[in-house]
Amino acid sequence: MTKRSSLAPNRPGPSKVARAWEILAVPVVVTLLSLLVGAVVILGSELIVTGRKFDPFLWFTAYAALVQGAFGGTDAIVSTLVYTTPLVFGGLAVAFGFKAGLFNIGAQGQFLVGALGAVIVGVALADAPAPIAIVAATMAGIIAGGLWGFIPGFLKAVSGAHEVVSTIMLNYVAVQLLAALVSGPLKVPKSPSPVTYDVGNAAYPIVIGGTGHIGIILAIVAAGFVWWLLFRTTWGFEIRSVGANPDAARYAGMRPKLLTIATMTFSGGLAGLAGTSVLLGVTHSMTSAFGTTVGFDSIAVALLARSNPIGVVAAALLFGSMRAGAGLMQINAGIPVELVDVLQATILLFLVASPVLRRVLRLRGVQAGIAETAATNALGTEPTD
Amino acid sequence: MRIRTRGFGVLAGFALIVSACSSSATAVPIATAAPTTAPTTAASTAPAATASAAPSSAATPAPSFAQMPNLKIGVVTDIGTLDDKGYNEFSFKGAQDGAIAIGVTDPVPSIVPKDASEYAADIQQFVSQKYDVIVTVGFNLTAATVSAAHANPKIRFVGVDQSPECITPAGANDAAFACKGVPATALPNYTSLYFAEDQAGYLAGIVAAYADKGAPTPTGVIGAIGGTTLCAPCVRYIQGYGLGAKSVNPAIVVKSAYVTHDFSNAAFNDPAGGKAFAQTFIQANKPDVLFQVAGKTGNGVIEAACAANIYGIGVDVDQWLSLGAPANACIITSAEKHVESAVAQAIESIAGGTLAAGDILFNAKNDGISAADFHDKASLFGPAVTTALQTALAAMQAGTLQTCPTTGCGVYAP
Repeated sequence: MTKRSSLAPNRPGPSKVARAWEILAVPVVVTLLSLLVGAVVILGSELIVTGRKFDPFLWFTAYAALVQGAFGGTDAIVSTLVYTTPLVFGGLAVAFGFKAGLFNIGAQGQFLVGALGAVIVGVALADAPAPIAIVAATMAGIIAGGLWGFIPGFLKAVSGAHEVVSTIMLNYVAVQLLAALVSGPLKVPKSPSPVTYDVGNAAYPIVIGGTGHIGIILAIVAAGFVWWLLFRTTWGFEIRSVGANPDAARYAGMRPKLLTIATMTFSGGLAGLAGTSVLLGVTHSMTSAFGTTVGFDSIAVALLARSNPIGVVAAALLFGSMRAGAGLMQINAGIPVELVDVLQATILLFLVASPVLRRVLRLRGVQAGIAETAATNALGTEPTD
Repeated sequence: MRIRTRGFGVLAGFALIVSACSSSATAVPIATAAPTTAPTTAASTAPAATASAAPSSAATPAPSFAQMPNLKIGVVTDIGTLDDKGYNEFSFKGAQDGAIAIGVTDPVPSIVPKDASEYAADIQQFVSQKYDVIVTVGFNLTAATVSAAHANPKIRFVGVDQSPECITPAGANDAAFACKGVPATALPNYTSLYFAEDQAGYLAGIVAAYADKGAPTPTGVIGAIGGTTLCAPCVRYIQGYGLGAKSVNPAIVVKSAYVTHDFSNAAFNDPAGGKAFAQTFIQANKPDVLFQVAGKTGNGVIEAACAANIYGIGVDVDQWLSLGAPANACIITSAEKHVESAVAQAIESIAGGTLAAGDILFNAKNDGISAADFHDKASLFGPAVTTALQTALAAMQAGTLQTCPTTGCGVYAP
């Protein structure tokens, strides 16, 4: 398998615009293409679904509502930011794994366990002074998620168990663990249905609009921190080196096993923070229906961002805005929320086919960097060109 | 004839609702059933008093509804899909029926959340769009609905299956479940509709016991498969089912199992998983009848029952109609709760200004539950079944029939 020497300095020459285009072309074109596919799906389903008047511009109504619901006014924008927050944490978690050549498909489980940690400590400290309760509950969420990431990292390091398999299995364990705790020891005794107590003072304070909690700011800080960690520290360099070529990294005196454990733990902690931000920032208590699609959406976010921490923020914003706009889309256009799934899935499909796309767009594709190589390797496909 | 053919799911229209209500002497406009205190248990036996004050206005023939064509009605369902042939779908249809009944011509929009963190935001969408009535479906939305009702006193909220209502004296959601608030005064813009699933299950149990007797080689075993142990209504259905079957044949063995113990996809949204689970269940227990209480997952249970040549019993709606041929080949009846009719009645009462705050129980007394028609399986049953069903229903209406265990009703016990 040939590795690109992307650690080497960039080629001299191309202007800033050309370089920006090389970085942005694929994500932007992929997003536009999937919107086009979405429009075709809407038109197609109008032909199939009877009993509704055929409206050739329904797709426009739908997208207009999607945009209005996501960006039309302060409430909408705040709502977009709230949906974006866990996707930033989750996207960072998956991207961080990609950088080390690890495919953390367990962000889902780490999200749930992180939220569990946050709710346990949050409820216990519900009456404690807010700063203490918030910090403690947040730390608990990070540690719980980190622990859930440590397990597959440790298993991989000591026995070679593939992290894809073990994280998927741990996702199921997390769901069951959550259900057992919420309907058991954490349940409010008098409640007819399984629900925990409120986290009280541990709830994130609202800083923007009616629902914009402090987790939004935390997410941006986290993106900056992960960028700094990856590109400005020795540890980050080692992680990227191991991701690019574990054998060479070992030869250079690095310890891939230790790095695998550390990376998975850190990645799990970030995913746990995603769950924590939803629990302390949005729901404030946990029902046994507490579940999420954030874990899997995060994989799409990380791929779309090419595992770049700053790109993760942009990609999360795109996915978050679709989630925020979906409500108004359902009200105004009567288009089911599944359209958002169609758009996200189509984006993923086009990303997998991005080498083809790059050729069509006449991009050289050399700039893709290790990030994408690691990501595509983790997905089991060989990089082309 | 207590088992009536109703067009739920196929021709669910206003006319049907009206005819269904007016043709039954027990149909009660819900406003008069107004309980002002929250019952402490959802067991059908306990809140019997809530509906007993009702018959005074039951004499009103074919109710004509106040017209409010400008009322904006929105629905937020639980996670899943809108066309689940069950809870979400029929609550939504009920809202549509109610809207038509009061003269609303605009379509009734719905929002289906993608996960549990979305409930509050989705309700807020309708609030921001200045909707007058917001219907939310399922007990998972309780906290979000109550909080929204508290924050928006001018908007009327109707919750399906969010009982017993539990609020603070100030009208906020009570996370500690002290339940000190009185709904009528503290939160007058919120009503929760709930159902005596155990009564519907009881009727289905009677039918199952007779079907077991009439099977070519009776095994003396009937079965039930629930979606998740955490779903109290599911547990009530199955508890009633067992008691109903034993009322016919005390020696009958009632086996039950739950697909999962959480609210994952497997519980209500996984027909293939339900089918596999049911196949194992059938092999292990050899039941003659299998009652599904698992939504879409349960549709796979019915499929497995038909494939194994045993009888199936549907849930929530008349699944013989909603599933259609050939999937309904072995369905002998369904344990129905009339979600659609209940939601429609609530909206009609809102237009009439008569919808009370607090919990409103739908049971045998106000046509809230029933066993569905036998359809093409009628030849399997003699008059004894019909008599048994009628007797049971009359006793339920009189409040003298116990259809759920006195302790632990709705609570799963392994």
